[in-house]
Amino acid sequence: MQVIETSEEGKEVKDIIQFFLKTRKILRLYPDNNPIYINTLGECYTKFKKFFYDKDDLTLHIKHGEILYNDEQVYFSPDKEDNIAIFFFKDGLREISFKKGLAAEELEIFLKIISLDFNRDVLDDDLVTLFWERDFQKIHYVVDDIVLSDEEDNEVYPVAKTRGEAGIDDNILKAYEDAVNDTELATDILIVPLTDRDLQSILQELEDDNSDKTPKLLDILFEMISLSDPNVDFEELYGFFRNAIEFVAGKGDIQLLVQTQVRLHKIMEGKDFSDEIRKFARRIMIFTGSEPMIVILGDVLDSGQESEERIFEEFVHYLDRSAIVPLMKILGELKSIHSRKFVIDALVYLGPKDITLLAKGLSDSRWYVVRNIIYVLRKIGDKRAVDYLLKTVKHGDVRVKKEVIGALGELGGGGVLQALRECCDDPEIQVRSAAMKALATMKSEAAKRIILNKVRDKLFRGKDFEEKKEFFETLARWKDDEIFTFLIETLKKNVFFGRAKNYEDRACAAYALGFMGRADALPMLQKLQNDSNKLLREAVHGAVKRIEHDGQ
Amino acid sequence: MMDSSEEIDVNAVARDLISQVAVILRTTLIHDPNNIAVSSLIDKLISIINGLIASEGTVALELRGDFFYINDARIRYSLEYLLNFDYLAREFRRREMGGIIFNERTTSEDLKTFVRAFNFSGSCQKPLEVLEEKLFDVRSFSIDRLRNVVDNNSLEPRKMVKKTYFNAVSFTKGVINKIKSGEKVNIRKAKRVVENMVDQIVEQEQLLLGMTSIKDYDEYTYHHSVNVSVLSISLGQRLGLNRKMLTELGIVAIFHDIGKIEIPFEVLNKPTNFSDAEWNLVRKHPIWGVKALLRMRSLDDITIKSAIVAFEHHLNCDLSGYPKIQKKFELDLFSRIISLADQYDAMTSSRVYSRVPLAPDKALSIMSERSSTQLDPLLIKFFINMVGVYPIGTLVMLNTRELGLVYESNQLFGTRPRVMIIIDRGGSRVKGNVVDLIEKNEQGDYFRTIVRTMDPNKYKINLAEYLL
Repeated sequence: MQVIETSEEGKEVKDIIQFFLKTRKILRLYPDNNPIYINTLGECYTKFKKFFYDKDDLTLHIKHGEILYNDEQVYFSPDKEDNIAIFFFKDGLREISFKKGLAAEELEIFLKIISLDFNRDVLDDDLVTLFWERDFQKIHYVVDDIVLSDEEDNEVYPVAKTRGEAGIDDNILKAYEDAVNDTELATDILIVPLTDRDLQSILQELEDDNSDKTPKLLDILFEMISLSDPNVDFEELYGFFRNAIEFVAGKGDIQLLVQTQVRLHKIMEGKDFSDEIRKFARRIMIFTGSEPMIVILGDVLDSGQESEERIFEEFVHYLDRSAIVPLMKILGELKSIHSRKFVIDALVYLGPKDITLLAKGLSDSRWYVVRNIIYVLRKIGDKRAVDYLLKTVKHGDVRVKKEVIGALGELGGGGVLQALRECCDDPEIQVRSAAMKALATMKSEAAKRIILNKVRDKLFRGKDFEEKKEFFETLARWKDDEIFTFLIETLKKNVFFGRAKNYEDRACAAYALGFMGRADALPMLQKLQNDSNKLLREAVHGAVKRIEHDGQ
Repeated sequence: MMDSSEEIDVNAVARDLISQVAVILRTTLIHDPNNIAVSSLIDKLISIINGLIASEGTVALELRGDFFYINDARIRYSLEYLLNFDYLAREFRRREMGGIIFNERTTSEDLKTFVRAFNFSGSCQKPLEVLEEKLFDVRSFSIDRLRNVVDNNSLEPRKMVKKTYFNAVSFTKGVINKIKSGEKVNIRKAKRVVENMVDQIVEQEQLLLGMTSIKDYDEYTYHHSVNVSVLSISLGQRLGLNRKMLTELGIVAIFHDIGKIEIPFEVLNKPTNFSDAEWNLVRKHPIWGVKALLRMRSLDDITIKSAIVAFEHHLNCDLSGYPKIQKKFELDLFSRIISLADQYDAMTSSRVYSRVPLAPDKALSIMSERSSTQLDPLLIKFFINMVGVYPIGTLVMLNTRELGLVYESNQLFGTRPRVMIIIDRGGSRVKGNVVDLIEKNEQGDYFRTIVRTMDPNKYKINLAEYLL
C-alpha cells in the first residue's frame, strides 16, 4: 500500500475528527453537568478556534467509509459498525462545512446530535432532520436526496410523460380561438392587504393551537362509534381507543382520562344508544382499569409527576372490580410512598366490589403487599374479610401479624377471639402486644375474660414488667367493677415468695387503677404512697396524681 | 455548557435594522425627518448600523427575490416583523432599489438625506435615478439597483424545485402503495421529503407553488397529495409557523386523503357522476383515513395530527360537510389550512369525476364566497394573498390578443404578474418571451392586462415544458 504523506492542515483536521469520536463517547457516557463532559466539549471548541485562526472554513467530504479534506484522506475505518463516515453517509450527507465564527453552543448541539445512538434509540428523525431542525448558522451541509427516492429518475418520467401527452399534440391554437371568442372576463378577485389585526388574530390562533391534540383525537374516536358498524368496525375501533387511552395515561393526563370515563359512562347509562354501543363503551371503560393501564399509571405516579388526589379519586370512581388485581400487582412494585398511598386508597374504594378478589392479595409473596392489603381490608371494615384474615394470622412476618391482629380486633366476628387468644401466647412480644390491643378494641365481655384469665394465670407473673403493665392497662379499659376489684386485690396482695415479681404486679395494678381514673381507688392508693418499694411507690404516686387530675 | 456569550446575535440585530428602516420610512411619510420622534428613531438606527460596522466592517442590506440579506446572510424573521419587512420590500421594488451598502460609520445627516430622497423618489418616473442623484454627496453609503433574481439564477432554482416536487410525488406514491399492502411507512423519509419542500417554500415559494399547477390526470392522487402539502406549507409559512410545524403540516397534508385507498378503483375512477351509494362510499374516506393512519404507526404527535386532519378535512367551519358529527367542536388549525389547499387544488384540477377544472381566479372567487360559513375567512385572506389572483401556470388571454402563461407572480400587484407569451397577437405560436404586466407606456397606461383565464390542461398545454 502506498503511504501518502499527510499535510500539516490534514493532520489538524484528522485530529479534530479523532476528537469528534472521543467526544461522541464522552457525551454518551456523562450528563451535561459532568466536568469530563464540559472539559471535552471545551477542548473540542478550542481545536476549532485554533483551526479558524488562519482559515475561514473546514469542509469535510463524506465518502462511504472515508472522509476527505481537500482531497486528502483524514478518516478511514474498515469497521462497518462504528464508522463515522458511514454514519454520515447513510443518511445522505456528502459534505459538512464548519465556518469561522462557529459558536460553542452550535458545536455542542452538533456533537450532541452525532452522539445519539440511532440504532438503539427509537428515533423518528435521522441526522439530516435533526440538523435541519436546528437551522445551524455556521455549520452547512450538502445532502444527496437519492436516499429518499425508491425510483430512479423520478422526475424525468413525469415530465417526459406530460410532454408525450401534450407538447406537440396540444390544442394551443384551439385555446387561442376560444379565448378570442369567449366573452367571459377574468374574475375580479380583490386581494385585501393583511392588517395588524389579522396578524394578531393569527398569532392568537397559533397560540391556541399549541395545546395537546389528544382530546381532539378522542373526540373523533367517540364520533366514530356512532359512524361505525358494530359488527365490522368495533373490534378495530376498540384497539384505537386502547392505544389512545394508553397514550393519555402515559402522559399522566389523568384529567383527560376522567373526561373519557365520564363520556363512556354517559353512553353506558344513556337510553339513546343501542345495546351494542353501550356494551362497547363498557368494554372500553373496563380497559381504563386494566393491567396495562394500571402499570402505566403506576409509572406515572412513581415518576414524581404531580397528580391531584381528587382527580385520581375520580378516575378510580369509574373503575370496576377488574382493576383490583392489577392494582394489587403494582402495589409491590411502586417505589414511592406517595404513589402507594394512591393505590391503597383506590383499593379501599374498589375492594367492597369484590372482597374475595381483594383477599387474594393476602397470598402475595411480598410481606409488605400482604400488610397493605390487610390495611385495605381493615379500612373497608367488611366482616366478610375476617375469614381471609384469620388465615393470615399465622403469616411468617411479624409486621404482617401485627397488622392482621389489629384488623381482626376492629372487625371482630367468629373465630377472632380464639385467634387472638392464641396470639396472646405468641413467642413474639410484638404479636402478644398487638393481640392485647386488638382484644381491647373489641371491648367484649369475652375479650375481657381472655385477658383476665391470662393475667390470673400462674405463668403471668414471670413475664417482663413492661408486658405485664400493658396487660393491666388493657384490662383497665373496661372500667367495670370486676376489673376494679381485681386490681384492688392485686394491689393489696402480699406474698412470702417471689416478692420482687409481686411488687411488679402490684405496681401494674396501681398503674391500671390510675388509668381507670376512679376516685374510689384513692384511699387504697394513698396508703401505699410511702411504701418501701420504689417501683410500687412510683406507680402509686403516678396513679394518684392522675386520678386527682382527672377529678378536677 | 461552553460559553460564547461574546457572540452577538447578528440575525436579531439584522432584523432590528430592517424593521427600523421600515419604521423610519413610514413615519417620515407623516413627519419631517427633523421631528424629534423621527430623530430618536434615526439615532437608534445609527447605533445599530455603526455597531455592525464595528464588528463586520461593511453592512450590505440587499433585497433578493422576496428576502432581505445582510452581508450575504438571509435574514429570517417571525410574524411580528412581517408587515415591516413586506413594506420595505415593496418600497425597494417600487424604486427598483436592490440594496444599500454602508462602508463606513454613518451619520444622522446622511440618513436624513436618504429618507428625504427615498420618499421623494417614490412618485418619480425613474425613481432609482432620482435617488442616486439626490444621494450623490453622501459618503457613508451607496445604493444598488434591484437585480432580477429569477432571470439571473433561474436555471438552478427551477431544477431544484422540480427535483423536490417529483421526489415528493415519488415518495407519496411509494407510501400509498406501502399502506395499501400493509407495510410500515418510514416517517424519517417523509420528514426529509417535506423538509426539502419547506426549504423550497422558504427560498422559492412561487416556483414550488407553480409546480402545483402541473396536474397529472393519471396520477392525480399522488400529485394532489403533494400539491395540497405544498399549498399548506406555503400558507403555514405565511401564518408564521416555524420550520418544525411546517414539516408536520406538510406530512399531515400528504396523508389527508389516505382513506381513499379504501374506495374501490372503479368508483374512484368512474367517468360519470357518482350514484348515491357511491357517494356514500366516498364520504367514508375521512373515517377510513383515520383508521389507516392509526393502523400505520403507534401514536405520536404526527399520527394524531394526521388522523385529525384526515377526519376533518371535509368538515366546514360551521361543521356542515362530512362525516356528520354529534358533538360540536372547533376544527383544528391544520384541518382548516389543509381543507383550503385541498379545495383549491381539487377545483383547479381535472379529475375523473370532474372533467372541467376551474381557472384559479374562479376557484378563489368561489372559495371567497364560501368564507365564514364553510371556510375560515381569515385563512382565505392569507391564502389569496399567497397564491395571488393569477398563480404560476395560469393560462391567460391579454387585452393585446396575446395568449400566455403566468410565469412569475407579482406579490405587490396581484393582477400584474410576469407572463410567458405562447401565442402572439397574430395568432402564431411563439416561445419563451416573458413580459411584465406592470410595464407602462409613456402615458402611464399598462401595455398589457389580463382579460380572461383558461385551463391549460383542457387544451393539453404542457406546463412542465414551459415552466420547468
